[in-house]
Amino acid sequence: MSKMAKLAAAAAIALGALGVLGEAQAQGAKPIVVGSTLALTGPLSATGLVHKLVGEIYVDDLNRRGGLLGRKVEWKLMDDQSKPDLARTLYEQLLTADKVDLLMGPYATGAILSAIGVAQRYNKLLISHTMGIPSLAKYDMHFPAWSLGPNPQATVPTTVFDAVAQAPKPPKTVAIVTSKFPSVHFLSLGAREVFKQKGLTEVLFLEWEFGNRDFGPIAARVKDAKPDMVWSGDIGLEGNMLLEAMKKIDYVPPLHVHTYPAPGPMAAAPETDKALSLTIFEEHAPFTANPVAAQFVKTFKERATAAGLPYTAVETQAAASFTAWRIFEASVVATKSLDDRKMADWLKTAQVPTIQGTLRFDRGNNFGDDLMRIKQVQNKAWVTVWPKQWAAPGATIKMP
Amino acid sequence: MKPRIAISILAVGAGLATVPWLGLPAFYESFLYLLCHWIVLAISWNILSGYTGYFSFGHGAFFGAGLYATAFLAGKQDWPFLATLPAAALAAALLGTALGAVVFRVASVRGELFALLTLAVTFVLATIILNTPIDGGPGVYLIGVQLPRLGPSANASIYLMGLAAAVAAVLLAYLIHAAKLGAGLFAIHDDEDVAEVMGVPTYRFKLWALALSCALAGIAGGIHAVFVSYVTVAETFSIAVPLGVVLMSILGGSRHWLGPAVGAIAVTGLQYFFTSGEAAVTGRALFGLVLVLAILFLPGGLLGLLERLRRKTPSPVAADAKPAVQPALAPSPAASGTPLLQVEGLFKSFIGVRALEDVTLEVRKGEILGLVGPNGSGKSTFINVVSGHYRADAGRIRFEGRDLAGADGHRFARAGIARTYQIPRPFAQMSVIENVALARMFGGVGCSRAEALAEAAEFVAFAGLGPHAQARPDALNLHQRKFLELARALAARPKLLMLDEVLSGLTPAEIDEAIAMIRRIRDRGTTIVFVEHIMRAVVALVDRVVVLNHGALIAEGSAAEVMREPAVRAAYLGTTHA
Repeated sequence: MSKMAKLAAAAAIALGALGVLGEAQAQGAKPIVVGSTLALTGPLSATGLVHKLVGEIYVDDLNRRGGLLGRKVEWKLMDDQSKPDLARTLYEQLLTADKVDLLMGPYATGAILSAIGVAQRYNKLLISHTMGIPSLAKYDMHFPAWSLGPNPQATVPTTVFDAVAQAPKPPKTVAIVTSKFPSVHFLSLGAREVFKQKGLTEVLFLEWEFGNRDFGPIAARVKDAKPDMVWSGDIGLEGNMLLEAMKKIDYVPPLHVHTYPAPGPMAAAPETDKALSLTIFEEHAPFTANPVAAQFVKTFKERATAAGLPYTAVETQAAASFTAWRIFEASVVATKSLDDRKMADWLKTAQVPTIQGTLRFDRGNNFGDDLMRIKQVQNKAWVTVWPKQWAAPGATIKMP
Repeated sequence: MKPRIAISILAVGAGLATVPWLGLPAFYESFLYLLCHWIVLAISWNILSGYTGYFSFGHGAFFGAGLYATAFLAGKQDWPFLATLPAAALAAALLGTALGAVVFRVASVRGELFALLTLAVTFVLATIILNTPIDGGPGVYLIGVQLPRLGPSANASIYLMGLAAAVAAVLLAYLIHAAKLGAGLFAIHDDEDVAEVMGVPTYRFKLWALALSCALAGIAGGIHAVFVSYVTVAETFSIAVPLGVVLMSILGGSRHWLGPAVGAIAVTGLQYFFTSGEAAVTGRALFGLVLVLAILFLPGGLLGLLERLRRKTPSPVAADAKPAVQPALAPSPAASGTPLLQVEGLFKSFIGVRALEDVTLEVRKGEILGLVGPNGSGKSTFINVVSGHYRADAGRIRFEGRDLAGADGHRFARAGIARTYQIPRPFAQMSVIENVALARMFGGVGCSRAEALAEAAEFVAFAGLGPHAQARPDALNLHQRKFLELARALAARPKLLMLDEVLSGLTPAEIDEAIAMIRRIRDRGTTIVFVEHIMRAVVALVDRVVVLNHGALIAEGSAAEVMREPAVRAAYLGTTHA
């Protein structure tokens, strides 16, 4: 290399370094803005408000700890009004008009898919809270915080089967009834296959449309079928309504599993006692042995009570939301960068410790392990009963 | 139609089409797309419900039919996206037309029944889609669908398609509004039975309105499928679509062709304005409050308010109208003795009551035939049947040799029969001149809307209503409303004019004025059937009289002759039993 060339190279390196320094100084002057939408109004708002509260708790804590890369974090949250088309437009606004630095995903499948489309067009990283159908999330920079695994339609029913096999009276027959709500329905169809393979006899299969309020006929059919176990693919209050209808005809199902019930109402009613469901986190050891989780549980209860939320315990939704922010923080800290591609590349090979366990993203569509557990209502509270290493101390599955 | 307006719509559309090349943040394309989407849907609803008054809660179904047509064909059958849009429009239009073809035949399915029926269709369609391979439950994912490259990005392409649909919808709304179709639809809205009798082919017009409305909703659905990219039954067939479009149309003004578009912009803009996460619930409450206030204080919508302000200024038509104008009437010859209308063996019954019983009579060209009888004798029923308002149970109605019995009401008007109503039934939401123009447009040989409006001024003036040409009928007194009935009937240039107690309720001076006017009408060559209780008017005007009693014809002849008939005297005065 000639002397001139060496000088030029040195000058270029110096200029580059100055540029980096200048950028770092500029970055230090302004906060990192994270943009996202949540369903704060509209039909999905009850859960949206949980995610909002968790985000606020996390960002407050993050800033108390000094923020990220020496900069404060500012969360620009918008209300998508439970409408996927509005979610799409708001993500466009966040990226192209507000020019936020990074994105955080919404929580419902429809809105997440809308946000994924936008993120994909602008090569942005998107971490979502509760993406229920992994096969639809094909974008390689989308990362789920809800550890469903890439094939929950197979793995989740298998976990359920393994759990009920530990019951005092393991089932030999099953009635599968399910809502046609997409993220529930595909899980129920998977359950049909899994239970068949495991040797359970299906004595009934019924579907209802999301929004159905009349569960009397379904309850009667289940009663007539005399199953050892009921798999109820329900969401929100559907499970409560089904059990209420069963109570009216003096029927108590032997074992009954509910996919995504509203946690508060499902724990509180007399007829829901011993109801089984899916979870990633509950407020007991060993989950709360993690000091971060314990502190989060405490703070969430305080803030949720102050905000007037009807259910103040941390469970799947709040835990998934907390996990999403944890993944976000981990990727920025590890890469020391706000570069979406770098963060995504790091996440693909990383193992991120979270309050629901260690997450990885190295399988189909960046879904890692299926960390779903089984919980049961016992004495009007949810306790994890399966697998054993995540069960509440002394808790085992009980018959109704 | 004013070409200036059509050109303006296209020019605005062309201007907005440049947005993707202006270097604005891409979110503007998404936001403008949402505006366009709701404009199309709101206009779609308004063409049916705002124009005709058939309130639809089924636009979720028509929108969903289009959306799922595209989702299924593009997402599952690999059709090119653009090819799915005509299919989306067609699927929705066929659904609507099939529904309308049945429902519009049933006179009782109007108002809330129609609304509930369309709502039921939404649930039925949702169930079908949910339980067939069209969806089956998990929703349809469309992220891999290739879009035509109309702009610099996929986002821009979707926006441009939405814009094209919105421009087409606004243009269509204007063209319909400005055409005879629009006038007919508004007449259906105000009084469907009267519209039919005045010559509006109500069944056909309603079907057209429904088909066009559904096709627009279908196209909006087809484009929206790729905008949201993941479609589910629950979100597609929610009540949000019909409620949203109703709100937009009413806020903007459902009587104005541009009203729904204005409402869509206002509602979507307000919704977007309140998307801050800081105070989302308060924002939504404020949004609701703004809408409630707007609807409470602007019953005609934003454009209705402008329209009202405009109406306060007297129009040139009203100012220039000359009462002495003699409009051209039907070219009928003077009394010739040739039969114009021949009624044979006419029967009409209503649940247990025989209103017409074997009535046979003829009306001769150029004459004034008095139709008299005590209350309940069947005079009004006779006019209702002979004008097509009611269908006869049996008998023949030959008009100029053509049998009209059993024909739809509008065919009577087209043949040259016009009538007035005993209790005036003007189209309440139309001005006086619009009421009269409508009769000219659809009655007799008919004419274009522009010609009708021009000629209507003459009939309005003839009836002495010139100063009230732009007023709504509810601003007129009874005398003026009766004369509006008359002007409307005359505007059709009928060969046969049937006047149903046109003098009742008028003062003696007004009666004299009316008699003079009827004479003038006859002198211009129009044949008249004159139903009246006021005998001095009957005696003064008629050439012949027929008398009905209990639905049967009991006497016929000159006024003096029939009054001497014992049966007539008995009918009016009763029989002595002493």
